[in-house]
Amino acid sequence: MAEKPITGEKKAFMTGNEVVAWAALCAGVDIMYGYPITPQNEIMHYWTRLVPKHGRKFMQTEDEISAGFTTLGGVMAGKKAFTATAGPGNVLMQESMTMAEMMRIPSVVVVQQRGGPSTATVIYAQQEVTMTTLGGNGEGFRVVYSTANHQELFDYTIKSFNTAWKYRFPTFILGDGYQAKMRDSVVMYDPEERGIQMVPTEPFVGKPGCPGQDRAPTHLRNTYNIEEELEEVVLQYLADYKKMAPEIVEYETFATEEDCDILLVSHGIVSRAALAAVKTLREQGMKVGYFRPITLRPFPVKELQKEASKVGKILVAESALGQFNRLVKEALYGMDKAPQIVELFRPGVGITDEEIMKKTKEVL
Amino acid sequence: MRIVEAYIGEYASGKSEVAVNRAVFLAREKRKITIVDLDLVEPCYTLRRLKKLLNEQGIEVIAWETEELLGLGETGALLHPSMRWALQKSGDIILDIGYGVYGAKVLNLLEGAASDPDLRIYAVINLGRSMTSTKEEVLEYLRTLGRVDGLINNSHLGEQTSKNFLEQASEIMEEVSEIVAIPIIATTVTEEMAAYLSKSYTHPIWPLQRYMHNSFW
Amino acid sequence: MSENLMSIQPSMPKCWNIATKPHKFCPGCGHGIVLKCLGEAIDELGIQERVVFGCDIGCSLLAWDFFACDTIQTHHGRTTPVMTGVKRAVPDRIVIAYMGDGGGYAIGSQHLFNSATRNEKITAILVNNTNYGMTGGQMAPTTLPGQKTETCPYGRDLENDGYPTKGPEAVAAITPEGAYIARGTVAKPRDLKKYIKKALETQLNGTGFSFVEALSGCPTNWRTNAADTWNMIEKKMTEFYEPKELKVPGKEG
Repeated sequence: MAEKPITGEKKAFMTGNEVVAWAALCAGVDIMYGYPITPQNEIMHYWTRLVPKHGRKFMQTEDEISAGFTTLGGVMAGKKAFTATAGPGNVLMQESMTMAEMMRIPSVVVVQQRGGPSTATVIYAQQEVTMTTLGGNGEGFRVVYSTANHQELFDYTIKSFNTAWKYRFPTFILGDGYQAKMRDSVVMYDPEERGIQMVPTEPFVGKPGCPGQDRAPTHLRNTYNIEEELEEVVLQYLADYKKMAPEIVEYETFATEEDCDILLVSHGIVSRAALAAVKTLREQGMKVGYFRPITLRPFPVKELQKEASKVGKILVAESALGQFNRLVKEALYGMDKAPQIVELFRPGVGITDEEIMKKTKEVL
Repeated sequence: MRIVEAYIGEYASGKSEVAVNRAVFLAREKRKITIVDLDLVEPCYTLRRLKKLLNEQGIEVIAWETEELLGLGETGALLHPSMRWALQKSGDIILDIGYGVYGAKVLNLLEGAASDPDLRIYAVINLGRSMTSTKEEVLEYLRTLGRVDGLINNSHLGEQTSKNFLEQASEIMEEVSEIVAIPIIATTVTEEMAAYLSKSYTHPIWPLQRYMHNSFW
Repeated sequence: MSENLMSIQPSMPKCWNIATKPHKFCPGCGHGIVLKCLGEAIDELGIQERVVFGCDIGCSLLAWDFFACDTIQTHHGRTTPVMTGVKRAVPDRIVIAYMGDGGGYAIGSQHLFNSATRNEKITAILVNNTNYGMTGGQMAPTTLPGQKTETCPYGRDLENDGYPTKGPEAVAAITPEGAYIARGTVAKPRDLKKYIKKALETQLNGTGFSFVEALSGCPTNWRTNAADTWNMIEKKMTEFYEPKELKVPGKEG
């Protein structure tokens, strides 16, 4: 049994990409598959340096289609495997991720969002929300964690393997180019020392015994013959998904127990600016609340409805043209009196707390 | 005496911050100084955005303009021709050398680096970085760098820097320095960290002002 | 009479876009030489007006405004299919798919090999500098055994990372008669230009797929001085990649 990479706690000063590589190491990942694309390359640069020291593996594939499918192969072989990508690479991974949805394969993919559509910028955006939550030709049977800082990148990368292997839905960490490259201190730890039960992997193929003799052979497929057969499978997955959702939904609120005239809703790194804005505005006597979904899938629907029912307006801030807002609107549907939505959309551009405060003051 | 210093080090070790501060210091001593941006692997914190600020302090900056590279879709790990000939400039030269598997070999890209008598190569080490956090790791890392003339102790943990950490870091650096027989040129400290310095150091302390957080992309 | 030296322009192919010169490729980069050979070939064949030039993601991207020819910058690896699409729709165009190692042998390989085996009447030019330059020097299909890059920091290990790709050999094996396949090197620009010209002539004659790989240098990511750069291109790379014509229309293999 290989030595643990970290015992106790280790404080370090790192970039987000490095945090992901180290978190994967601490989570016990056996193998990473990947293809170069900015801004996630340092995940691979660091994983390849850690590999020989810790007895893990790495494969550089010919492209992201392959990276996605090789990851599925590794997972089905029973190993903890993941890949990382961004932008156009994420587009290519949709095909493999639909296979993961259909076959309930516990894949983990780290996405460091960059500008879109197409090649756009290599820097930053929140424009891969639609694709990561609802991409491919599926029904969105995915888990997506939207992180906001380095400590979360560490914590949730480890968590994503447990979520994936426990519930068997493809799981994503949705970061961005800013988180990937910014430097910050982080506390790394061995999850088991902190009481986090690591969910064991198990092979889909290659279970012990000779197939046909000691056990039934494993026959896996993702195609179906008739419509009703498909419907049955998909509805069963929906039931599983709905059952799992309350166990893994995560969100954050601030100042919502008090009177609120407006609720600021955001995710990922933008929520840091939103939280700072709310704190400042409260000090200035304004009645503002903060709501941040941490899981974009499953979305904290009733939790958002609860907070949204207390306000007349919500401000949705995102570095995209309404991709997150679309999830918000869907979540608000069915409310007796849904609040008015004010939009602060900056596609591909970072949003500061000053901008959020300015917009809030304009509409109140 | 001409000062030519190349700052190399691991990814995010603080090379650029140290290089910029050194250039600012030399400019304040009224020396003619040029700083060269040699970050060639996915540069995101770069000197480009600090050009105007540094020019105002009398420092010439050899770096791409952000606008020249933006719009090309990828970061641009490009060498500007003037970087190649940087060592021919009169006055002092500070080279900010980005990370990479080849360590200090970036200097091969500069005309005259191999024979420049004034060139000093300084390795910037931050013991708060996970790949250089113990004596053994730092020694292993130094072995990959090639020629190193001096060490810069730039150890910190960002907001989490503690007195204990700084003291341990400096002890480790002193041990390393003795083992590899390379002197510690300086320990760098920000204003916040200065309060934690209790022991007396046998080498210079360089005060550090943070510039690089304004230089993102 | 003294002449202002800045007013003497270096000689450039007519089809080059003067407005974007000097170009942004690194000092010592092989792209400049390949594009000069290509530019001269276009001039000599008189096809500037008919050319549609496609470039990939990576350093070839820097060629997007390089020529005074209509250009499309595509996605990584997709230059071949986009150019194929243009040619199929308007066969009178002379299409050039310009890419690097990744664009041709990794993410673009399925397109390259399929266009080749269908004998598409396009010209593909691939610049081989054994790494992914623009993104900071990761391993490429053409990285040599033992060579260090950011994603094989301890050197390319044949067991784990596989063998380097011999692209022209593979393409020559699967293309039918009428195709032109060659590997040139920036160390021999006259030969390289000859191969590129013959490739374009193959497209003009409409006999088949034409492909030229150009061995090229990347001192920036190799971190090599001039002498070591040429040593890599002329000696180390040619141990693995032989410059020669592999297939010429009308000539037996």
